[in-house]
Amino acid sequence: MREARNLQSPISNLQSPLGFLTAYVPEELFHAAGFTPVFIFHTPDDHGYARAHLPGFTCWVVGSALDQALAGRLDSLAGMALAQTCDTVQGLTDLWQRNVPDIPLFHFGMPLRLDGPSARAYLLAELQSLRERVQALTGHPIPDDALRESIALYNRTRALVRRLYAHAADFAPSDLYARVRAAFQTPKETCNQEAGGKKQEAGGRISPLLPRSCAPLFLLAGSALADPVLFDVLAQAGTRVVGDLLDLGERYFAVDAAEDGDPLEALADRLLALVPTPTKHHHQRTRAAHLLSLVRERRAHGVIFARQKFCKPHGFDYVQLAHALDRAGVPHLLVELEQASQVGQLCTRVEAFVEMLT
Amino acid sequence: MTRYYVQRKVMARSKPLAYVTSGAPVEIMEAMGILTLYPENYGALCGARKVAVGLCQVAEATGYPADLCSYARSHIGAVLQPKHAPLNGMPRPDLLVCCNNICGTVLKWYEALAAFYDVPLFVLDVPFQRTTPAEPHITTYVADQLREFVAWLEAHTKHRLKSNRFHSVLARSREAVSLWQEILEFGQHRPSPINAPDLFVAMTPIVALRGTRRAVDCYRRLKAELEERIAHGIGAVPGERYRFLWDNIAIWYRLYRFFRPFMNAGACFVADTYTNAWTVELDPEEPFVSLARAYTAVFINVDLPTRLRTIADLAQRFRVDGMVMHANHSCKPFSITQNDVRDGLRDELGIPVLILEADMCDARLYNEGAVRERVAAFLEML
Repeated sequence: MREARNLQSPISNLQSPLGFLTAYVPEELFHAAGFTPVFIFHTPDDHGYARAHLPGFTCWVVGSALDQALAGRLDSLAGMALAQTCDTVQGLTDLWQRNVPDIPLFHFGMPLRLDGPSARAYLLAELQSLRERVQALTGHPIPDDALRESIALYNRTRALVRRLYAHAADFAPSDLYARVRAAFQTPKETCNQEAGGKKQEAGGRISPLLPRSCAPLFLLAGSALADPVLFDVLAQAGTRVVGDLLDLGERYFAVDAAEDGDPLEALADRLLALVPTPTKHHHQRTRAAHLLSLVRERRAHGVIFARQKFCKPHGFDYVQLAHALDRAGVPHLLVELEQASQVGQLCTRVEAFVEMLT
Repeated sequence: MTRYYVQRKVMARSKPLAYVTSGAPVEIMEAMGILTLYPENYGALCGARKVAVGLCQVAEATGYPADLCSYARSHIGAVLQPKHAPLNGMPRPDLLVCCNNICGTVLKWYEALAAFYDVPLFVLDVPFQRTTPAEPHITTYVADQLREFVAWLEAHTKHRLKSNRFHSVLARSREAVSLWQEILEFGQHRPSPINAPDLFVAMTPIVALRGTRRAVDCYRRLKAELEERIAHGIGAVPGERYRFLWDNIAIWYRLYRFFRPFMNAGACFVADTYTNAWTVELDPEEPFVSLARAYTAVFINVDLPTRLRTIADLAQRFRVDGMVMHANHSCKPFSITQNDVRDGLRDELGIPVLILEADMCDARLYNEGAVRERVAAFLEML
């Protein structure tokens, strides 16, 4: 458990793999164009390449993606897609185009505002622009019917992941998130076949000291699917995760796109309907309200915030969410994740938090 | 600055007051008789008065991580404990207007303020300009939001946007911007009549008073003074030997002290990227579209090739001998591509570049000894 694991599964075996970062890339559009979208998770490995380009105060989620690309670990990618989210990802857009010219980059201007008619109109124009840029690269049109098929395929994956989350407490956190991560890295056809063909088996490394009936139930909040070390630590401490507000977690799979009508409108409406990440704004649909409703609905005993060091949106967001939890009397813990997580420190803090609750 | 804040405090008793980000279209609010104040400007004031660290710690004690923007932490600290803040803090706002063309941090900062004050927040979404000029749908989106913004302001203040007043404000804003551009261009003279730290102080009206007569009057006087200095061959740095370009926000708590070793060596910062951020022109015939174009194309919201061209153009026109870049912990949009800008300038123009890591307000991130040594080595190399 003390050894950090590389989360990036081999991408060279995939058909036209298309890497992406951020929680707002319309994967379906790339899939309909013949790509296999695969999320580029950060790894603890540092080949030293990104440091020549990025200041030391850059979050490692972005630093690792650039490092992997410059180290040649992503050479088999047919393209890379970034949706506009934070300042660091915006900087990566520039740095990728300048330093990784052999892997074409698609920038997708996801609006900051998720409400209002002008945001929807702009998002539709961005989706159309993206479609045209992808078509220009491949030399093939992306027909509406192909897009609808991709949407239907992705809807099935989303339904399967929702089913997984419905039984989240039956899994060790490490196993739950291994499955969620697989949904980002496995071709959807395979993912749907594997997950649909057999019943999800619960199990994993739940500590025998705490049976399920008295295991502390937590929600997770933070950016990516974080560090596997954290999930291992949570499993080791005998906790169960019953839901999350992670950028790439439950919220990402919560909303389907319509399978009829205009497919670009369906993609736009899905993206606008998601619970906002901290980089987005909806004047009514707030993250604090959503988190509190999750706590009540899942009967969670507490919330663990996993923040990547130097991540500004989640740094500010933590305060707003923590204050909302304080007012509601919900215990919470903040852990800060670095390039390579300190297992001992994480263990101590999580175990102390669990002891406080039990 | 003190007079400015005191005046605004008094005026806020009879007029609606909006907190705005530095890249927000203030001309609309000025034309509608809505007062504006800039928390970023206040953060800089806290930095210059060397009280930012204490206020940051107030914010950190309530949970804000220490690696967040120090303008935001300083201001939030002042909101939480105004008695410990300069001028007893800023007056309470009636409205909040946040525009993300300068960074994404402002969204979270203003959401926190909206929660604290329980006042309405307007978010003006200005997408990243990935090609220059901006794609038409980006301009349309921003212009549409500006129209929504006017309706939102009218609904919340009962003030109306009158066309003739809007046009006269735009004309004044254009005149101030034009004067400011002329002032910045004076740096091309040898010796330069103005140095970057002077510009950092002189930029306040272009940030906080765009569209007002005061900004125009102020810059007319400054322009006349600089013309006189040029006529008499008076340089900002006596015995100017080197001409430098500055990148990023000022180090407010060391404003003159930081530049002193450079001045002692005869080095003048004749141009910079920070004060250039407001050199945009507005067309009164197409106010919303021209405002949309102008506020989308601000320096740190455009793609790297465009920024590099701007910097290379400054370096060539101002005939600089070197560049100093402030790797600012607080400002990702300015800082994240600096290494590549450095490489680009070296490759294209052969200009030496020094990158110094610090922070605009948080003095805890300033290593006096390391900065002194690196500056001395850079000057020696020249």
